[in-house]
Amino acid sequence: MSAPPCDAPLTAANNIQPFVVLHKAAVSSVPSSQSRRQVQTSQPSSPNPKPAKRCDDPAGEECEDDGELYEQLRIEAFHRTWSRIQATIDKVLRDINLKLFDQVLQWVKESFSSVRSITRPHHMEVQQPYPLLTDAICTRIPTAFVLTKNVEFVDDITTFRDLAGHLESNGCHIAKLSAAELSPKHGVGGCFRSLLRQLLHDVSDVADVSALASWYCEAENFDQPIIVIIDDLEQCSGDVLGELVMMLSEWVIKIPVFFVMGIATTLDAPKKLLSSEALQRLELCKLTLGSPSDRLNALVEAVLVKPCAGFCISHEVAMFLRNYFFRHDGTITSFISALKLACSKHFSMEPLSFLCIGMLEADCEEFWRDKFEALPQAIQKYASGLPSCTNSSAKNSNNSSKNMVEGLSRLLKWQKEWSSVLLCLYEVGRYDKVQLLDIFCEAINPDVQSEDASNSCMFISKVTHGNLLGVKSGSGKGFIAQVMDTIRYLPMEILLHVLEVWSIHLKGMGEINDKVKELLSTTTGADSGRATKEKWSRTSTNSIGNGTVPLNEKAAALLQDVTRKILVPVEFLPFHEIICFKNVGVLQSALIGNPRRMVQLDLLEPQTHLKCSCCRSGTAVSGSMHDTSIMCSLAQEYGDVINLHDWYIAFEGTIKSANPKAKRKVYSSPSKKKSKPTPPVEGEAMVQARFCRAATEMQISGLVRMPSKRRPDLAQRITFGP
Amino acid sequence: MAPRGGRAAAAASSGSEDEEEDAGFSRSYFLAKEKEPSSGKKRARAAAGKLSDLNLVDEQVLRASLAEIPPKHEEEVEALTRSYKDQYRNWLFELRCGFGLLMYGFGSKKRLLEDFASTTLTDFTVIVINGYLPSVNLKQVIATIAEMFWDQIKAKRKRQPGTRSQLSQPFPSQSTDDIISFLKHQTSDDVDDRVCLLIHNIDGPALRDAESQQCLAQVSLCPQVRAVASIDHVNAPLLWDKKMVHTQFRWSWYHVPTFAPYKVEGVFYPLILASGGHAQTTKTALVVLQSLTPNAQSVFRVLAEYQLANEKEEGMPVSSLYTKCRERFLVSSQVTLNSHLTEFKDHDLVKIRKHSDGQDCLRIPLGSDALEKLLQEL
Repeated sequence: MSAPPCDAPLTAANNIQPFVVLHKAAVSSVPSSQSRRQVQTSQPSSPNPKPAKRCDDPAGEECEDDGELYEQLRIEAFHRTWSRIQATIDKVLRDINLKLFDQVLQWVKESFSSVRSITRPHHMEVQQPYPLLTDAICTRIPTAFVLTKNVEFVDDITTFRDLAGHLESNGCHIAKLSAAELSPKHGVGGCFRSLLRQLLHDVSDVADVSALASWYCEAENFDQPIIVIIDDLEQCSGDVLGELVMMLSEWVIKIPVFFVMGIATTLDAPKKLLSSEALQRLELCKLTLGSPSDRLNALVEAVLVKPCAGFCISHEVAMFLRNYFFRHDGTITSFISALKLACSKHFSMEPLSFLCIGMLEADCEEFWRDKFEALPQAIQKYASGLPSCTNSSAKNSNNSSKNMVEGLSRLLKWQKEWSSVLLCLYEVGRYDKVQLLDIFCEAINPDVQSEDASNSCMFISKVTHGNLLGVKSGSGKGFIAQVMDTIRYLPMEILLHVLEVWSIHLKGMGEINDKVKELLSTTTGADSGRATKEKWSRTSTNSIGNGTVPLNEKAAALLQDVTRKILVPVEFLPFHEIICFKNVGVLQSALIGNPRRMVQLDLLEPQTHLKCSCCRSGTAVSGSMHDTSIMCSLAQEYGDVINLHDWYIAFEGTIKSANPKAKRKVYSSPSKKKSKPTPPVEGEAMVQARFCRAATEMQISGLVRMPSKRRPDLAQRITFGP
Repeated sequence: MAPRGGRAAAAASSGSEDEEEDAGFSRSYFLAKEKEPSSGKKRARAAAGKLSDLNLVDEQVLRASLAEIPPKHEEEVEALTRSYKDQYRNWLFELRCGFGLLMYGFGSKKRLLEDFASTTLTDFTVIVINGYLPSVNLKQVIATIAEMFWDQIKAKRKRQPGTRSQLSQPFPSQSTDDIISFLKHQTSDDVDDRVCLLIHNIDGPALRDAESQQCLAQVSLCPQVRAVASIDHVNAPLLWDKKMVHTQFRWSWYHVPTFAPYKVEGVFYPLILASGGHAQTTKTALVVLQSLTPNAQSVFRVLAEYQLANEKEEGMPVSSLYTKCRERFLVSSQVTLNSHLTEFKDHDLVKIRKHSDGQDCLRIPLGSDALEKLLQEL
């Protein structure tokens, strides 16, 4: 960074301007090859990007060029993959909420027809600048309270967005008001203006109802109600909302404005919030949303179990995401954002990740072959050197192209079969309240499976005792084992239903599906009579007496067999690095920054970052350390207040005790400012200045607070222990 | 928010780290406890040790020395900052994926980020916001972005006649919401440039309020805008709620300690060894007073003399100040007195308190000796 081009614009003036335009975009177009070239010429000394770094051959220039090209490919691959995943997520969430949306729509239609049944105002009437006078009873605004059952509001944002979309596509006029708009600061005027801005194109400065009225009686707007969605009722100002309700209720016959309000707590919330007068103007209807864990299960199925875009995650990452959901905040939003970050990290770090989109191509093998042959030598070499390939027994490196294409095709096939089998397991597990995410995490756990392979005759879970990093059911067994138990005791009619669902899931997996069909056909005839008599309990023990192997056992055996054969964790397959994101550490640090801990660690153990030779490593304080580090270490000895006098004395003592020789060495670094030969370093003023600067830096980091006027000698310590 | 969850998640993936953390915490706890009883001497000194016992130098000398502090570990700091260069391409990648970058860790990150911006973000128009300043007008910033986009749209429209402009008034006179909603509607089809907001100290004093953070969050949600920000305060994550973190800023965190001195960031902080002394306050008070009219100075003098004469009292009632000042022909009406008082209050020369009998009292927040010194010099 010693190169000055970056320093040129950083003049002193720029530092005290509130904002500065550092530079304009170099080439104003979508990043094309031309603009990429530009990037290169402007920074000839920049280090190679990651993939280029891997190629060590002397043709560095070309290498870097390739690096940029492949970086672009990876970005495109990310956007394609993520838009696919996002679309899947949107669809899943929309489908889950569809029932509610239809209820809302139904309610809208009924309310509209009931309002219109009172009187149907003429266009001219609507435009007259006063409300239509009817009975008081007719001035009630139809209002739907949607109970969201979420403690965190953030998940409901998408729900209400989708609801708005749904209603809009059915012809309603939609406006959304946020809690920020319904605040005393904006008042009812600002709130109404925002409403107008969403409905009308040109909004005059004066926001009044007549503008809305004249817009509403335009022919194309006239025959639909206006729905105002307020997604977070509890956060709104009751006064402002009440005023808005009072205002609109007078016009409801002329301009049918209905409310949809989201309530996170209970139905009491509106009663507490609104005045009784305003409440009387609302005609209520109560609707309820599904629970977050339902949504999570649906998401896991659509995004993780059936990788909709090829991209998948390793066991460690899955465990992290699971814990992030259950222990962090339980919101779908944070789960999705974590997944997105994982996805972007994968495409950013894995040089071959752009091949992932081959999974979406119609002729994937051809796609991979083309892409592989175009790869520069170095990256080809990298591909055949992937750890998963070097480990695998089939290591014939003479045809790496064929190897990779085959490997990837196998991965594609594996994904399909694997997800089918997992869904079969879940189909059984759901009768014992097993969560899909739990089964998923267990099924991709390479530790479980590798141990299983060595004890192939035993059940998967029996071996894995204590090895599941917290994914355990109450009985201390794995979830898959629990499923195996469950299937043994399933009542006949449920079992038959399960088998039918299996045959749907296993469609396309010839042999196994045949077996399922065989089970179905042999037993439906024979057991049909018995099935009605069987109860939930102990099916198998009853039938063992008959000498025939019961259906439950057969199904269990089949499931076990299939599980062992097909439920191989992705991390065992060659080339899985291309589609599978494994680096949980990177994900965690990018997702959850922990400044409170890390900043203190930086200061208490500066050597880990500075790697200097002059300071001793460890926790001992030495004078050669960074001033702020010394101060921070000294501060550790105090309670919640630090006596400035003592702190200063200790600081002075520490820096003066430093080995003077070592210090001279540090100070006389070659790039030192030429202002003066060394000023009297140990002078009182200098020590005080150093003390002041270190204290200021700790203050900027939020580690201490300045002394108050009342206690001028004591600084307040804020953080304790990293 | 984030840190706690982070700890939980960290505990899941690595138990050992957690134990270590606990050990560290208890160690410092016992260290603190150990100190207390063992050193009665130290305890006594803690009670007695006063800043005034130190031979503190004058603030001007202190400030002069501050500029001369020899850098420590200069090479290592340089090397550390340089080591992040390898990550620039990854940062850019993530920015293009739609994430915002949030840099934290000890040390000024100003130079690092600006170096990143000027070497790697060449496809972006980079706007630097210096959040460490005491005041930043965000509306100006977004108006600047909007004007830039607007120019591009106009240029495009010229090429495709037939479309008419929707905006009639210039951006600075519009409301912030209007400008943001304009920005939100600009996609890559409308404008060519992408803007990167480089926010130094998004947790800085000027941006710490909810409104500024909301504004930044909404701007960084705009399709053509990306945010790169740095935080220094350990509690900075408390500025944001879930919605802002996950759906607007979409932060990707990076721990990049630089150990570089907080040169510009620290300018606006008072010096810890200079704030305690009365000399400083007397001096600033004198500067303020000298800039006022002679009448105002005299009003202040009346108040100060009263305070010196009645040290025990809570302050001088406004009504008696008014009477005194009228007697001496310093003010002609309550209005003129009030205008003087407002001036004093704005510069922290007086404080208003409710007297126990209910009327407002005025008090100069200075000790008697400091006040005497001030009157002598005035």
